[in-house]
Amino acid sequence: MAELHLFGQIEGGSGFPQRRLFCKWGLHAGAAWTLLAGAGAGQTQLDDPQVDDVAHWGHPLDMHLATKGLQGWPRLLLEVWHVDGWGRPGLAGYGVCHVPSAPGCHRVTCVTWRPRGTRAQRLLGTGGPQLRVPEVTAAGAGDRFRLSTESAGTVTLELGVVTRNMGRYGVALG
Amino acid sequence: MYWCEGGAVRSSVPRPSVPGRAHAQPRARALALRGCGPGAFPLPLPFPLPFPLPARPGRAEAAAAAFPFPQPPPFPSRRGRRRLRCRRAAAERSSTMSAARPGAAGAERELPPVPSTSRTSFAELSVRQRMRDKLKAARIKAEITLSQEDPSPQPRLLKGIRERKAGVRLDKTSDNDKFREMPEGESHLPSKVKFRDSVKKLKQKSTFQNDLPSEEEAYNFFTFNFDAVPEKIKVGARKKNGLNEEEEVGEECVETHEDEQEEDEMDEDVRLVKDDDLFIGQTDEDLLVMKPVDWESYTEQLKREKEFLFVPSMSAVPTSEKMPSNVQPRYLEDEGLYTGERPFVSQSNQNILENRILRQDQGKEWFGDDGKILALPNPIKQPPTRPPIFSLEEGIAPELETVYRKAIKMTSTNQYFVGPGDFQGLFQLDIDISGLIFTHHPCFSREHVLAAKLAQLYDQYLARKQKNLTKLLTDKLHALRSAVQYSIEGGGGDGVPVAQQSIPEYKMEIRQTRRLRDAEQEKDRTLLKTIIKVWKQIKSLRDFQRFTNTPMKLYLRKEEVDQKSDEKAYEAEIQAEIKELLEECMEEYEKKMEEYKTELQDWKSWKKAQKSKKKKKKKDTHVDEESEDYEFGEERVKPIPPKMASTLEIEQQVREKADNCRRKPGEPILVPELTLSGNVTPTEQCPRAEVVRREDVKKRSAFIKVLFNSKEVSRTVTRPISSDFRVHFGQIFNLQIINWPESLKLQIYETTGISSTTLLAEAFLPVPETAVLTGSAPLEEIEFSSDQRVMLDHEGVGSGVSFSFEADGSNKLTLMTSGKVSSSVSWAVGEKGIPLIPQVSQQSTGVPSTLKNIDAIASIGTSGLTDMKKLAKWAAEAKLDPNDPNNAALMQLIMITTSGEAHVPDFFRLEQLQQEFNFVSDEEFNRSKRFRLLQLRNQEVAEFRNYKQVPLHEREISEKIFQDYEKRMQERDVIDSKNYLDAHRAVVANYLQKVRESVINRFLIAKHHFVLSDLVNEEEIPSLGILGLGLFKLAEPKRPLRPRRKERKKVTAQNLSDGDIKLLVNIVRAYDIPVRKPVMSKLQQPSKSSRAFKEMFAASPSAQSSPNSPDWALNQVLVRPFVEVSFQRTVCRTTTAEGPSPCWNEELELPFKAPNGDYSTHSLQSVKDEVFINVFDEVLHDAVEDDRERGSGIHTHIERHWLGCVKIPFTTIYFQARIDGTFKVNIPPVLLGYSKEKNMGMERGYDSVRNLSEGSYITLFITIEPQLIPGESVREKFDSQEDEKLLQAAEKYEAECTSKFPSRQCLTTVIDLDGKTVFITRYIKPLNPPQELLDAVPDRSQTAAELVARYVALIPFLPDSVSFAGICDLWSTSDQFLYLLAGDEEEHAVLLCNYFLGMGKKAWLIIGNAIPEGPTAYVLTLEQSQYVIWNPSTGCFYGQYDTFCPLQNVYCLISSDNIWFNLQEYDSPGRINFDVSKPKHWKPFFSRSLPFPGLRSIQPEELTYEHSDKAAALELQSRIEKILKDKIMEWRPTRPTRWNRYCTSTLRSFLPLLEQNQGKDVEDDHQAELQKQLGDYRVSGFPIHMPYSEVRPLIEAVHSTRVHTIDVSNVEFALAVYVHAYPQNVLSVWIYVASLVQNR
Repeated sequence: MAELHLFGQIEGGSGFPQRRLFCKWGLHAGAAWTLLAGAGAGQTQLDDPQVDDVAHWGHPLDMHLATKGLQGWPRLLLEVWHVDGWGRPGLAGYGVCHVPSAPGCHRVTCVTWRPRGTRAQRLLGTGGPQLRVPEVTAAGAGDRFRLSTESAGTVTLELGVVTRNMGRYGVALG
Repeated sequence: MYWCEGGAVRSSVPRPSVPGRAHAQPRARALALRGCGPGAFPLPLPFPLPFPLPARPGRAEAAAAAFPFPQPPPFPSRRGRRRLRCRRAAAERSSTMSAARPGAAGAERELPPVPSTSRTSFAELSVRQRMRDKLKAARIKAEITLSQEDPSPQPRLLKGIRERKAGVRLDKTSDNDKFREMPEGESHLPSKVKFRDSVKKLKQKSTFQNDLPSEEEAYNFFTFNFDAVPEKIKVGARKKNGLNEEEEVGEECVETHEDEQEEDEMDEDVRLVKDDDLFIGQTDEDLLVMKPVDWESYTEQLKREKEFLFVPSMSAVPTSEKMPSNVQPRYLEDEGLYTGERPFVSQSNQNILENRILRQDQGKEWFGDDGKILALPNPIKQPPTRPPIFSLEEGIAPELETVYRKAIKMTSTNQYFVGPGDFQGLFQLDIDISGLIFTHHPCFSREHVLAAKLAQLYDQYLARKQKNLTKLLTDKLHALRSAVQYSIEGGGGDGVPVAQQSIPEYKMEIRQTRRLRDAEQEKDRTLLKTIIKVWKQIKSLRDFQRFTNTPMKLYLRKEEVDQKSDEKAYEAEIQAEIKELLEECMEEYEKKMEEYKTELQDWKSWKKAQKSKKKKKKKDTHVDEESEDYEFGEERVKPIPPKMASTLEIEQQVREKADNCRRKPGEPILVPELTLSGNVTPTEQCPRAEVVRREDVKKRSAFIKVLFNSKEVSRTVTRPISSDFRVHFGQIFNLQIINWPESLKLQIYETTGISSTTLLAEAFLPVPETAVLTGSAPLEEIEFSSDQRVMLDHEGVGSGVSFSFEADGSNKLTLMTSGKVSSSVSWAVGEKGIPLIPQVSQQSTGVPSTLKNIDAIASIGTSGLTDMKKLAKWAAEAKLDPNDPNNAALMQLIMITTSGEAHVPDFFRLEQLQQEFNFVSDEEFNRSKRFRLLQLRNQEVAEFRNYKQVPLHEREISEKIFQDYEKRMQERDVIDSKNYLDAHRAVVANYLQKVRESVINRFLIAKHHFVLSDLVNEEEIPSLGILGLGLFKLAEPKRPLRPRRKERKKVTAQNLSDGDIKLLVNIVRAYDIPVRKPVMSKLQQPSKSSRAFKEMFAASPSAQSSPNSPDWALNQVLVRPFVEVSFQRTVCRTTTAEGPSPCWNEELELPFKAPNGDYSTHSLQSVKDEVFINVFDEVLHDAVEDDRERGSGIHTHIERHWLGCVKIPFTTIYFQARIDGTFKVNIPPVLLGYSKEKNMGMERGYDSVRNLSEGSYITLFITIEPQLIPGESVREKFDSQEDEKLLQAAEKYEAECTSKFPSRQCLTTVIDLDGKTVFITRYIKPLNPPQELLDAVPDRSQTAAELVARYVALIPFLPDSVSFAGICDLWSTSDQFLYLLAGDEEEHAVLLCNYFLGMGKKAWLIIGNAIPEGPTAYVLTLEQSQYVIWNPSTGCFYGQYDTFCPLQNVYCLISSDNIWFNLQEYDSPGRINFDVSKPKHWKPFFSRSLPFPGLRSIQPEELTYEHSDKAAALELQSRIEKILKDKIMEWRPTRPTRWNRYCTSTLRSFLPLLEQNQGKDVEDDHQAELQKQLGDYRVSGFPIHMPYSEVRPLIEAVHSTRVHTIDVSNVEFALAVYVHAYPQNVLSVWIYVASLVQNR
């Protein structure tokens, strides 16, 4: 019964064409994993950076997971949203990042993408195409090549990983 | 000699290149290694050569022999230095030589650059670098000198070197290939030859000496120490060394050591010779030898190659060779095992491979059982991994589809919460309402009724016909019969045992089937008969009334049958049946016969025994006749032999039955056909009543409302009801929804004429399955019926009215309006064929995490996989290869579906291999206590909500930790009556617990929602005004004699720990404490000072009867009271004061401990502890036994007598922050030995106001230090069924009111027990008080009111801020309240108000603020133009101007039809005007602009009460008494507790009296009585009165009086309990405790 502590923060996002961003996140893991404590999903506050284009969220993550097996190592699914001047939220990017398997502190940079709408949709501004089932980004759907997407900014995370009893089951992480 | 020294060093230096040289490494390797940089070490032969090499020339062998082992040098640094020395020496040498023979430079280049060059370290490199620089300089110099010295050969030489260099370079790149082809010696022949030629030319060597150097020479060469060459030579060398030198070193530096090896022996020879030459004096020519080109012809080469090359043949290998002998090849695929497809390899290649493998040792291992090479299935996918995309739009997987979302501004409540619902957009439900058919309607005429019946029967007939059970069963019967026949026949010949065995089974089956068939046949026949009967009725009715109303017509089609064959079949059937029955009878007969025989046997033996006995007895003379009689009585009856059933009888039976239920032979088959082809009589020809009916029908029309989640979403058009009572709508409603529907309802309305619309009935539509999509959904008929009673004055039969078809009015029928709606509900299909179905469960915010829905299928979600049946069907049809691992996931499903279609599980696992890779099994995982604890803590389960630290190891968690939790889980439904002594209360407690849990769970979620102010603490910037005010305050004159309480800083409850919080109780003073009565010998009969109810509200205080007792003045000390405050079992007391109006002014400090050390707001709110403030009298008894000692010492005995108490719940203090005021002390109605001193003549004037009220008062100030911030109520919007407009109006009203008076609470909506918002006036409704109470008092006026108030107060009080910790008030309706028998002020107030209204009083609910409760609800009544305020939870009442009224502020008044908000300046009841008709004083909610819409009350029509159960009360009484006695003994562990029975019984007899008088004005009689009976005792005791909820509070109350603490040796106790039962199980408990000390 190995355990995994995942903590840290969603530091911020940069490189997005829009300002005023917030990020929704969710932890995805295989069936063997159980969330013992902590929130498995959430949403950051909206940051409207005044100086540069880096949105700082500093959103804390703290999860305690227990697992029966290694399949489905946890991933974080991120959705970055932006809010325009009229207070209307729109999608800015999807991203998935694997939780580092090595114990210790990690700075993880998660690049994001978003579906590219038709020209008309792009011209319209804030609204835009969104995935009907955003979870598939985490599931690694094979058919994603059909989507026409464009790259969005990056989200930086600071993740601390502490494992417990992994060695007991012959899992060496490093 | 230094030479030797150097030689020693040299010899120790290894030559690692030697082995490599033996194999003549190609130059390409050297090139590669050059790139490797320092430290690269060529390992000896890293890979085997593909071809055998030609024999080496002898030279190489010799060199190899000289340096056989590659050996790492011991100290690299030393080596470097040494090498440097060597090199310098070499340079010098060459320079010396070059003077004589300039041409020697070519050879000089070959000087071994010390073996360790290959291991060049960094140090070496730098040294080299320096060297190179130096050499560069030297070269330039030398070039100049050379060109000057010898101009003629120089260009040639230069050119030659350049050429050579180029040649070498060229070689380097190309010879790699050359080596492959030819022996090494020839490989660089051309260049070498050329080079050698040039050398020769330059040096003009003599060729005579071609000897190899001797061993000695070689030794010398390697042992010379070059270091010893003097400096001056070096200088010369620098000057003189020519191109050769420079060339050599430069090359050496760039090239690694291996370079050198690649030179052929000749070079080495040259060098060696030259070296020797240096010392021995030989010429180069001596060492050179001319050799012809070493060349082999191609054929020879091939021949040679053949020896060691093997070319596998391309011919196929026979299977036998590939398999081990005597083994037959097996073809796995033929055996049904999955093999997979192999990758394609051409046959010839395959053959070559096989041939090659077979030549190897153990080559056969490579072949499988089928004689083919073992190979994995083809890993290459047939379709390309990335198929070409022709259009982006097509073929996107549904889950990857993108939806265009317009940017929409979110509503303020859930701003930026982009829930998943937003992603999925709107879902659509299509409701198709095609029509409505009435099966009964009030306007039905009699004929219609019959017609409807006929139609119904006909429908039934059709349905039966379609099923045709009779035919089915008959066929089965025939089949069975023939099977039996066959098996009997076959069995005769063959004797098949199986068939024989099954015959009885068959027979059983036949019997069963026959019975069933007969029943079905009978049903068919009766149905047909009824149809005909009804039709006849219709016909006769039509004849009778002489008009036709319905177009129904029944035809009976006769199907003629062949008489003979029919008869035959009939007869055959009967015969078969008779035969079977006979058989049956025979069997039975045999069985019975058997039984009879055994019985007979028994009987006979018994008889015999009897006879022998009798004989015996006769011999013994008749001993006793009794026994004989007895035996005779037992005599058995002789068994009767069974009768054989006669064939005739059976036949008769069968025929009778057949007549009944079967068509007679030859009788035509009747097929009824119902048509609507009849003519309806036109209206003109009808009689008057019928015309009226038809007109009425015409007036009527119907429509249907569609209600989604109980809200009307659409309605159909209003269509008239046709004359045949059908309504056609044919409308489809598309409901766009977001969430999964909770309910779908149709309301059928009927309109008559123009205006009146009545709701006929409601019909619930089932929410369709996810598979039911528009287009495929069939129309379904949903039946509805209504219980309305409609009487009509025309031909219509009405509804709910009995009528009859018979003339005499018998056989009455009562029909209710009923009908069928045909409709269909289905899910709409979106543009791309995706059903628009919402997910059943949705998460609130964030990206949904899969951790929660672990089920794989669930996470797949919408995409069609939910329909497991369909998937299973597909899987079954697909005929997948069961052994293909790719299909493993589906195979599991197929296994399930094929095993039994009936129960397909709701899911199947996608990760079916998961289990095999698990670390631990699921069971073990679930067993982990630690994980469980962590999870429970995370879920905030009550027991673990604030569990601080979870241990790290499993073993550190005790098993017990879950016990409580598990017990609670188990006992959720088990009712434990032990703690409650009363089954009903146990049930209620359980129910309450459940409600509480569900509510708490709901609020726990809401508690995690934060608003900005929760997270951001922003200090307000002081505005100029505030600053100015502050400045002004500074200038204010200080008034130290009038201190003010400063506002303290509030502390958030997070960072507190035990001991930080203190409860400060400031006890100021008390008034009117009861005083001791002198122990009187004579019985004083004080005047009964009962005050009438009316008297209380009389404007002028009536003069008290003042029994100015003479003892009063004489008694020095009336009473010595002190106050003891106990809280959480900590006790503090004040000093003792004297007199009935003592003044203590003391501050007591009590520590506060939160449960589980959890100081969160949530936890503090649920603290149930109460602060007990007990007033005691300290009595000093003279303990001196002897009068003689009196002079010498004081021996007194201190006793404390409880006088009364005030209880304040901690939560009140917590919410109020401070409690400041004068409270009424709860003094028992009887205090033995004390009397309430009513003579106030001596006191000052203002008391005259106070003495209006009875009782003692105490002034207190209570607060918590530090001040805690009470939690806010949850900001959560609740569902509501109220009208949206009303809710908006309520919000507006509240906002207006609070803006004017922010401190005044305005209540318009409250939350009911289901968590729904309800408008408050709906709670107020006149309700009947229990009749028993009203009967008890003859005059239904004031006493009755008091009694009712008392009854309400007797219902136990349960603050819901405790139960629903700090959440909000939940209001239960009065019937819920009476059922639960627990509630807080609101429930009490609502019930009392309703009772008063029910009694015909004018009553209002007051929302206000009281001490000590805080925000509360009281009741206001108007009595004879006087306003009376009732405290519902105590039953006390106060006049409007009563000083001691606990109600401090009045905010709102609520009646059944309006709410008034207090707009007056003051809000204390004494200072306000209660006249609500004045809009200046009271702001009404419903006014002219918003009239009262007639909200229906949510209270029940009438309250029903259970009668009081006297027996149960008695039982409870004795149980409580026993428990309390046990407790008192338990509290006195060290001393004996004696019970005075006499006193107990006396007390017990008093208690009912007290109950009767409600504790008023019995004191004196009672005391006198007691005095009379217990003259010798000094009795101190009192009755405690409480409403009964459970035992614990009773024990607590008894304990707080501290009766048990009396410490006199000869004390005796008396305890009596009386339980009085009121209706609806409301119990009033009296406990009389007394201590008795015998007077000496």
